[in-house]
Amino acid sequence: MPIEEDPEGHETTALDGLVSFASCRVVEIGCGDGRLTSRYARSARSVIAIDPDAEAIAELARELPTVDARAIGVDELVLPAQSVDVVLFSWSL
Amino acid sequence: MVDALRRAHDMVRPGGWVVDLHPTAAIASVEVGVHVTGRVDGGDAPLRHAAAEAALATVLDAGLFAVDRAVEFTFYTYGDTIEELRDYIEENWRDGRIDDTVVRRTRDALREAPGTRPRVREQVRLTKLHAIS
Repeated sequence: MPIEEDPEGHETTALDGLVSFASCRVVEIGCGDGRLTSRYARSARSVIAIDPDAEAIAELARELPTVDARAIGVDELVLPAQSVDVVLFSWSL
Repeated sequence: MVDALRRAHDMVRPGGWVVDLHPTAAIASVEVGVHVTGRVDGGDAPLRHAAAEAALATVLDAGLFAVDRAVEFTFYTYGDTIEELRDYIEENWRDGRIDDTVVRRTRDALREAPGTRPRVREQVRLTKLHAIS
């Protein structure tokens, strides 16, 4: 069995208990390979997921083709003001 | 970090949310079942996590956000062997390492608990912030 992260689902339980992504426009900062993105992307209206790690972003794009995945840092992200519902810092602050 | 939070405030609509997930300053530990075999040397990780807390405090003080809710949870990472976990930590954590003494102690503990997978335990805080216009 390979490395397993949070098989108990504590992270998902905590997130689901506090945040609803249903029909939301989401920006995820520091998404890595999309471990967390995959938990909510289907219910969101749209997802922009960014991470400076190009290899991880390529993996996310393969697994989650509906996500707008970008290999950039937060400094390079240009979006209209007040254009999203949720910004998620994914272990990236 | 404060700049990133300010940018997030600009992006989010009035009444929208910023959600932050990051490990607390508690040092990650290596475990076999409930037996703690040692600590993960996270380099300057506790300082980075403390800096994240300070950044959140700064934007709260500035009136950009209000805390809606915050919770803590335990995040486990499992490997089949301590060597697999050690290599994973070294490859995926910034400056993270499990030293040889902890590896030896974990091997000993695994011999006493056949069928148990070694794991790394982290404490994570999730904070939901309400954006204030």
